[in-house]
Amino acid sequence: MSLWLLYLLLSKATMTGFSGLGSLPSIREDFVERHHVLTDYQLNAAVAAGRTGPGPLGLYVVCVGYTVAGTPGALIGFLAMITPTMLVIPVLRFFLRTAEHPALRGSIRGLLLAAAGLLISASLPLGRSSLTSALPVAVAGVSFCILALTKVETVWVVAGAAVLGLGAGMAGFK
Amino acid sequence: MPHRPSLREVAALYLKAGNLTFGGGDPTVASLQRELVDRRGWITAEQYSIAFSVARIVPGTNVLAFCAASAYQMQGWVGAVLSVLAASAPSAVLAVWILTALDAAQRNPLANAAAGAVLASVVGMMFASAWQLMKPALADAKWFRVVVFSGGALILREWLRLSPVEVLFAAGLCGAFWREGTAR
Repeated sequence: MSLWLLYLLLSKATMTGFSGLGSLPSIREDFVERHHVLTDYQLNAAVAAGRTGPGPLGLYVVCVGYTVAGTPGALIGFLAMITPTMLVIPVLRFFLRTAEHPALRGSIRGLLLAAAGLLISASLPLGRSSLTSALPVAVAGVSFCILALTKVETVWVVAGAAVLGLGAGMAGFK
Repeated sequence: MPHRPSLREVAALYLKAGNLTFGGGDPTVASLQRELVDRRGWITAEQYSIAFSVARIVPGTNVLAFCAASAYQMQGWVGAVLSVLAASAPSAVLAVWILTALDAAQRNPLANAAAGAVLASVVGMMFASAWQLMKPALADAKWFRVVVFSGGALILREWLRLSPVEVLFAAGLCGAFWREGTAR
């Protein structure tokens, strides 16, 4: 598969997906079923790798590129992941130009509170899979209190949790 | 007006938030919200909610679109491109590296213990971000608005299974007609 075709197919997937793994059906159809350059097992491994590390779930597109065409493929995957994000700027400029209109101000107030509801909703699946015993529940509760009530830098709270988890793992505590 | 940060400060923040936050894009957005709005005051809560919403409207990876939209409001096009690169390039390299070492990583109990605690902390972080977004309205005794919009969004998303874009569209539409008390 040429790098150009790889870019086109990956971009088609990222341009039509609206969330982390929204591009997956399109990628599976093109790479696994139509062009046979990827197996389902390899696709699953790419998704798992994107999910294991930090950053967005969409990073699995980079892993798909790498599996298909090595390091150049990974670069192509990276480009296909970041190009559609620049579409946001024209839309943003339109919003900012009209932001003083009272109806739009009302809309923005509504969007802000809805964003809070969506964040809670996005945290539920993470909570279901991670808050399985007393220790993680305590970590989540303490993190919430520190982040909501103090000005401590966010990264330190997450790093502290990692160290705590590591210590608990070494001590054999769950 | 919020303090206008330098390009370097912007890049450094997105580098940290994008590459040290586990659990997908939403935790990164939550961490950026706390840093940009609450701790540093580089953008206002309203600028944040515009960036959050437009990032959901456009296709592609939401968190990167959010980086572009929020950084654009501080540093224009250069800031937008730089923030996307800073937030995603290191973790992209890491993802490929993890792919080559996946089996070993998944079987390592210590790595799993650390990752589990990080995810738990991220859950707390996302609740804290939601709380920060609701706090100004609660302080203004606009709790009914919070119940309708935040609670409504949660119900539409969780129980009626609407997509985030549909939820935001509904919230924007209702907000446009709900204008009593023009104070925030």
